[in-house]
Amino acid sequence: MQQGERPQSQSQPETFLRVCQDCDLVQAVPKLRDNEAAHCLRCHSVLETRKKNSLNRSLALVLTGIILFILSNLFPLLSLKAQGIAYDGTLLSASIELYNRDRPWLALLVLFTTFIFPAISLLGTLFVLIVTKLHYQTPVTASLFRFLHSTEIWGMLEVFMLAILVAGVKLGDLADIIMGVSLYSFICLIIVLSFLSLSLNSNTIWHPDGHHP
Amino acid sequence: MTSIDRTFVRESASALTLGLIGCKHCHTVSRLPASLPITRKHHKNVLRCPCCQAHLQSRIPNSLSKTWALLLAAAFMYIPANILPIMNVTYLGTGQPDTIMQGIIHLIEGGMWPLALIVFVASIVIPFLKLLVMAGLLLSVHFRSHWRPIERKKLFHITEFVGRWSMVDIFVVAILVALVQFGNIASVDAGLGALSFAVVVVLTMFAAHTFDPRLIWDAMETDNTKNTENMENKDKSHG
Ligand SMILES: [Zn+2]
Ligand SMILES: [Zn+2]
Repeated sequence: MQQGERPQSQSQPETFLRVCQDCDLVQAVPKLRDNEAAHCLRCHSVLETRKKNSLNRSLALVLTGIILFILSNLFPLLSLKAQGIAYDGTLLSASIELYNRDRPWLALLVLFTTFIFPAISLLGTLFVLIVTKLHYQTPVTASLFRFLHSTEIWGMLEVFMLAILVAGVKLGDLADIIMGVSLYSFICLIIVLSFLSLSLNSNTIWHPDGHHP
Repeated sequence: MTSIDRTFVRESASALTLGLIGCKHCHTVSRLPASLPITRKHHKNVLRCPCCQAHLQSRIPNSLSKTWALLLAAAFMYIPANILPIMNVTYLGTGQPDTIMQGIIHLIEGGMWPLALIVFVASIVIPFLKLLVMAGLLLSVHFRSHWRPIERKKLFHITEFVGRWSMVDIFVVAILVALVQFGNIASVDAGLGALSFAVVVVLTMFAAHTFDPRLIWDAMETDNTKNTENMENKDKSHG
């Protein structure tokens, strides 16, 4: 995966041309070592980072994330107990209930941001990482990874976590709130996902062996 | 993580003026074909990255007008989002509609100050500031401002990052609707305000997506006569 043109970088063998995505400045970037980052000289944006052992670490985090995501969906996140009856709220019941109460568009938005995009992101990332690990990249994995990259802002599990907190406190004085089993796995999932976004970057997939085109 | 700045400049010009283009996905730098004007995509001359096959764009086409359109639509929807109730709480047969602001006031009356602050910031301050900041950025590019480009870019990225947190109020309503369903005793329904508010959040997220921060520097570089030819297409977008 390195057939890119290499304009005018022959004189300095250890540098590579990079274009800043924020200000379009062209600059030569030296080959990075592990855990280094190159910043744009004009606007200080990060041009490129290399993470140590990024592929294996991301793979471990994605697998953990998938297990936690399944656990978070199996059991209730919050339960509300009033007059002896308990009402369980799962991750999906928020969108299902909105749909039942004639708010299909809201239901769809909540479903996509809290379930579909996170699920696609986890499974897709796992697929892309395994394929990269096996050195078996195809144009399909390339476009899948690009798709995951551009839709990652639409997965909003951490925002949903804050909403659980707010809703829990709001309901606290009206009824008994019981923290569900899944709430703990959901909190772990948020932590794992934030570590994943720190360890995984485009270099992991496009230049897994440290080559720059 | 150590972050060592080992970058050094070989060229101090934008990629567009040098006839280069960088891929935002895999960072590969390619040469722009001279015969291929950058934004002639309606003639199917789409540039592809040689490394990852991504669609390459020197600039987002018509970035300013697209962003303005999304922003104005969001500003328009901001009104019903704040006037219409975001949820209806029915308690013992009597309904009580709650707008965003009334929800916050209820929280304060209940003594839940920190929570009221979170909801206030996420639901009122962030959407409003986001509209204001994006409009300011668009105007600064439009009037070719030279004022603090780095700070303006940072402001843009903060706006881009923080916008999604406004969804918290929508999710709170969704959770309340799912949990509070005691038949005739108490129930919660999502109001039309919630839908309008969700539309505001989604539209401003799209607006941040269509804004091209590279225009901040383009606006400062346009005195350079070399690039007028390449800039021609882009200038049409806000002409
Ligand atoms: Zn830059
Ligand atoms: Zn590419």
